[in-house]
Amino acid sequence: MEFRPRNYIAEEETHSLTRSAADHHPLSAVPPSSSAPPPPENKLSNSEDANFFDPLRGERRGGDSISIDEAPDRRSAAPYPQAPSKEWSSFKRLLMQKFPVSKMIAVSSVSSSAVCECAAFEKPDRTMLVDELDDVENEGLKVITQQEYVSRLYDLKDEINRAWNSDDRVTALKLSIKVAKLLVDTSVLQFYPTLFVLATDVMDMLGELVWKRIRHKAEYAEDGSMLDILPENFKANNVCFDAKETCNNWFCKVGAVRELLPRIYLELAILPCWRFLLDRPEDNLQRLVMMIRGLADPLASAYCRLYMVHCAQKLHTSDKGHLIACINDLNILFMRPASAKETRHGYLTDKKKLLVTLIDPAIEYIMKCIFDNASKVRVHIDDALVGLRLARNQVDIVERPAFVSIVLHHLLKELPAEILNSHAQDFLHLIQFSKDYTFDQCLNYRLLGFRLGEHRSQIEVLNLVLEEVMQAISQYERLDEFLNVVDAYIDIVLQNQMDGYLSSILKALAMRTSSKEVTEDDSRILQSIMIKLLSRLKDLDEIFALSHFLDILDVMYGRSRNAVNLHILDMATRKGRLRDPAAIQLLFEISQSLHDGIDLSHEKDDYARQLARLISRFVQMVDYGTELEQHLMFLVECRGAFGGINELKETLVHSSNSLATEALKDDKKQSTLVKSCIAFSEVTIPSIPTQVRQLNLYLETTEVVFSSSNWLHY
Amino acid sequence: MSSATVELKLSKSNRIYRPSETLEGKIVVKSPSSFSHYGVRLGINGSVNLQVLKLTVRGGTAGIIESFYGVVKPIPIVNKIIEVKPSGKIAAGTTVIPFSVNLKQHGENFEKFYETYHGRDINIQYLITADVMRGYLQKSLSATLEFIVETDKVYLLERPVSPEMAIFYITQDTQRHPLLPELKSGGFRVTGRMGTLCCLSEPISGELTVEASSVPICSIDVHLFRIESVLVGEKIVTETSLIQTTQIADGDVCRNMTLPVHVILPRLLTCPTVFAGPFSIEFKASIVINFESELSKLHKKSDPAVPRLWTAVETLPLELVRTK
Repeated sequence: MEFRPRNYIAEEETHSLTRSAADHHPLSAVPPSSSAPPPPENKLSNSEDANFFDPLRGERRGGDSISIDEAPDRRSAAPYPQAPSKEWSSFKRLLMQKFPVSKMIAVSSVSSSAVCECAAFEKPDRTMLVDELDDVENEGLKVITQQEYVSRLYDLKDEINRAWNSDDRVTALKLSIKVAKLLVDTSVLQFYPTLFVLATDVMDMLGELVWKRIRHKAEYAEDGSMLDILPENFKANNVCFDAKETCNNWFCKVGAVRELLPRIYLELAILPCWRFLLDRPEDNLQRLVMMIRGLADPLASAYCRLYMVHCAQKLHTSDKGHLIACINDLNILFMRPASAKETRHGYLTDKKKLLVTLIDPAIEYIMKCIFDNASKVRVHIDDALVGLRLARNQVDIVERPAFVSIVLHHLLKELPAEILNSHAQDFLHLIQFSKDYTFDQCLNYRLLGFRLGEHRSQIEVLNLVLEEVMQAISQYERLDEFLNVVDAYIDIVLQNQMDGYLSSILKALAMRTSSKEVTEDDSRILQSIMIKLLSRLKDLDEIFALSHFLDILDVMYGRSRNAVNLHILDMATRKGRLRDPAAIQLLFEISQSLHDGIDLSHEKDDYARQLARLISRFVQMVDYGTELEQHLMFLVECRGAFGGINELKETLVHSSNSLATEALKDDKKQSTLVKSCIAFSEVTIPSIPTQVRQLNLYLETTEVVFSSSNWLHY
Repeated sequence: MSSATVELKLSKSNRIYRPSETLEGKIVVKSPSSFSHYGVRLGINGSVNLQVLKLTVRGGTAGIIESFYGVVKPIPIVNKIIEVKPSGKIAAGTTVIPFSVNLKQHGENFEKFYETYHGRDINIQYLITADVMRGYLQKSLSATLEFIVETDKVYLLERPVSPEMAIFYITQDTQRHPLLPELKSGGFRVTGRMGTLCCLSEPISGELTVEASSVPICSIDVHLFRIESVLVGEKIVTETSLIQTTQIADGDVCRNMTLPVHVILPRLLTCPTVFAGPFSIEFKASIVINFESELSKLHKKSDPAVPRLWTAVETLPLELVRTK
């Protein structure tokens, strides 16, 4: 998401009041008599210490002051440390797309007052609308549209920028704290991701402003002369005392915020600034991870961890300890037994499910970061495994770690395939013991199956895995769960030619599908399974050889059945002549059901054309050998069955003509058969709509008639 | 003439000086036209300002009523007036008069340079004033600036190698005030440790774990208090007031997860613990657990120093020191 471009200079000119020169800066320390108006909040900066040099309200130094933006600091080699911005911005976009909110949102009084105050702040001359004031005072909920809320946040961001540019850093910080405080309110769950994206944008902006200011302090003396350019990978002792002092002050200011959540967000925002003070800024991460534990709200704490991970990326640390700690903490968060209140109210499981879907992207992002580039650095993976208590020796000896299924899911997704293969059984056990509301267990089995299929594994391991999986899923009551898992493992079975398992899987499938009602979704998974099977098989004989295949095919219906049928038809007609009456019978039935299906849905032209081509080819491929009469019978049957396909009629005429020619070659001179064939052609041709085609076919038939010397008949 | 201004600038941008250091800086006079003066003076003033605002009524049979009100005479620390420029003329434009003053005279030891501290009843403040005397008819031009005094490095302690950690347990039985019946019966247990000997430049650190709590927790905060005692006549008047609150848990946190205690000491509002004759400044930290309760909603803005039915408190004395 992008902020609309604005011309701040022009806007400022139009909005600002006429100005008159003041004798002294209202916040500067010079006249003790002029009591600086005490800032409305923020205990620390009350008038008591107004005389103390505060970097946030640094005096205006008249003409010699250099505004940070104008400062020629482009030459500086120490740019604001960016996180991999592409990933983050695409992640943010995804987040907003995933949870769009277009409805009205109810905002609790706390956040609405912050938002309203912002509006009031912008126009200090205008008194707040009376009803707006009432709303703020009301303890209840205030309803504003999401659009309003979002645009107010944008206004806040502009306001912070403006305050900063006019050297009013106290206001900038105060407004930033206000923005961070908005993140405390998780009452409108679906809106939270949007809020998070917008608020963290403001935080990132503040972080960059602070960074630039301190760097400027480090590179320029007070009178504007250049001191030294900080190299890109500067150390803390390259930084001059004054800059350090300023930096320290920022951390003090931020540390003085009373509430935990805004304090954490603000420290994270200026996290890269630790580099001015410490050579190992990442040492602070562990403390921050632990501080986040103090946030009990699962949504707020998960997103806070997400922001921490994002900010930690700016430090370019290779240490993944904080990420692993985050995952472990999140895991514990989900494992919490439901509180007494929740159980009493039979807690809304819908809300819990929603919560999981909202937190899901955070887990995914963190997990991705853990295994980012991991395949290149083996050590990292090992560390990660030890951190997650998954290393080989740990799994066996120490009590088995427990994972919540959603966390496990993302772990399975991100782990490199070879690790997964070597630990396959351990993961199997983990899945076995993770059965909770956060994610479907069967989908984890399914994922493991797919991941195992990615990489060649030892057959013994696979045997064990399959055995356990089959055992586990035999307990499943629901058909879709069962099918989902089978769908994943059938690949492994087929790849490794584990025929024993194949037949037992098919048997189980047939049993389950016959005893339970097969829904459309089930049918779709069955389609996937069947097509995988078919793509491994060479011809129809193998299908017949597979027990239960046809039984399973029978329970399928609708589109998925058609898809499988089409596949079979395609496969069968590729392999030369069809002579087996049973095969012909099956294909005929399949074609018939496909043909009947198409009558209902005219819209798919491509599909219809493909089908017509396949059926025609099938008819062409049929070969009854010497049983010519039977062949003709078959053609008659086809004409009856596939009346809707014009293309086929041509094929039928061709076939019957060639049948007649065949009969003529025969010694027995089966004149009746030839006659029947010609009659068949004669009757069929008029039903073909295109006259040119009719004519051609008539010519062809006539040729046959002539050559059969039965011309007397005509 | 009236638009002539005088400004004070100190050599250090953070304005922190140690008693043994020389206070350096410049007086900047800006004037559109030249004018004559009777000398430029620099005043350095440091003092402990005490005030007592207290009314204590002690009931009982004796019915003692004590009341103090008013300002106790300040305790001077340093008071100097130096003429940096004899009477003469100041030219039009900007005139810069540099100065350099020793804070502490050689051999002058009777006065103790306490560290700057801004409290409620006690204020330790150091001011530097520049005056351009302009005769009787015109007000002299002046500028005042506060500078911060920190203890000399020579007198500082080495950083404590192993900071003293106080281990604490907070349960329904450690509370001396009445608790809600459900808290008393259901029980709770919060354990942890916290450094009680703290360097001013470092955060107060420690950790805390909620091991059990039947009633959901609303929040856990660390309150930082100052205890200011002033000698009035023969009595010592002690007042405790809140400096800052730092929340370390918001909501009903997971059990058995270690939460860090990390409180940055606010500058100026804290100073090394002082026990002087006429006054003393001490600090303490309270860990306050707020439990969810209908009652607490009725008392939203209550004094954090007063324990309530729905709170559990553990107070630890802090010794603040300045280290090298």
